[in-house]
Amino acid sequence: MTAHVSDDVLVDLALGEGTASERAHVASCEACTRRVEEARSAVELAQRAEVPEPSPLYWQALRRGVGQRIAEDGQKARRFAILVPLAAAAALTAVLVARPGLFKESRVEPGLAAWSALPVEDEDDDLRVLEGLALSSNELADWDRTEGLGVYLANLTDDESRVLAQTLREQKQGGES
Amino acid sequence: MTSVALAFPPGLASSAVPRSGAELEREAERDAIAASKRGEREAFDVLVERYQRPIYRLCYRYVNNHEDANDLAQEVFLKAWRAIGRFRGESAFSTWLYRIAVNACLNFRARSRPTTRELDEALVDPRPGAEWQVAREDDASRVRAAVGRLPDKQRATLILKLFHDLTHEEVAGILGSSVGTVKANLFHALANLRREMTGARR
Repeated sequence: MTAHVSDDVLVDLALGEGTASERAHVASCEACTRRVEEARSAVELAQRAEVPEPSPLYWQALRRGVGQRIAEDGQKARRFAILVPLAAAAALTAVLVARPGLFKESRVEPGLAAWSALPVEDEDDDLRVLEGLALSSNELADWDRTEGLGVYLANLTDDESRVLAQTLREQKQGGES
Repeated sequence: MTSVALAFPPGLASSAVPRSGAELEREAERDAIAASKRGEREAFDVLVERYQRPIYRLCYRYVNNHEDANDLAQEVFLKAWRAIGRFRGESAFSTWLYRIAVNACLNFRARSRPTTRELDEALVDPRPGAEWQVAREDDASRVRAAVGRLPDKQRATLILKLFHDLTHEEVAGILGSSVGTVKANLFHALANLRREMTGARR
């Protein structure tokens, strides 16, 4: 091998790699020897950038932190999942108001127990919207069976229930006016 | 000469051969990945425990301080947990995880551009001749700062290759580039680092 080593090969040689013929060329070539030495000194320089070793107790704390973030993330996802039926309910209300009685025939008696998560004073016609919602959408009905739409609604806080009821009421009034 | 293994019925022979520690580790990792995909948090914790040190150290080299490295390492594992269902095993799990980590580090860097000035200041010691008397950690900190000033690809290549003992092929897999590009980036990273540090010492 007579040609000078390429940049790629230079990197290999600086890292202690490279083929026998490449090493032989460097040994006999002053220019390549200098370049490899420069690259090797840069590798040694970079290797001085040690990362301070944290306390042995740190690793457990890191895992705990990861666990906590995963748990918080799961809670956020569940909250988001609540918004899905809320948004769907709002959209469906608009449809129901525009076409009253659309789902009346498909009502199931008795109503779903989970609806009691709504404030007592709101257990009125608005609730049909939710029942209709659960029965009208196959996708949501499937989701209800697997994920538990009823459970989500049952777990609504008072504030969330009020928002839902208010949304339903406003949608209904808006549609009637 | 008849091999002992041939005396066993098919399928039994392989299970009778003692497996190496590395094979057992790989199998344990495969099990942990499969269980994590099913949503088993304890299994994912096994993966975190296995990779926490290299991931933390990778993050530290990007952010140069413990607090941000800790935050970033947690973010990497959270992203991995969210995405593990989509991990199809086409690459090694470590490659997949490093890819998430490098992306998280690059995003962090993009969010924290203003701190580059602090790194610049940290690199230059105003005291005449003091640069030769710096303590070991201070020296390491300066080199880390210089590494931090490298362009993104060069920096990622240098960190993965030199500090994580990965092959050129593995680094290429993580960064989504070719082996030739990895070597070229490493060459330029080393040249720039040397120039940077020699310049700072003058």
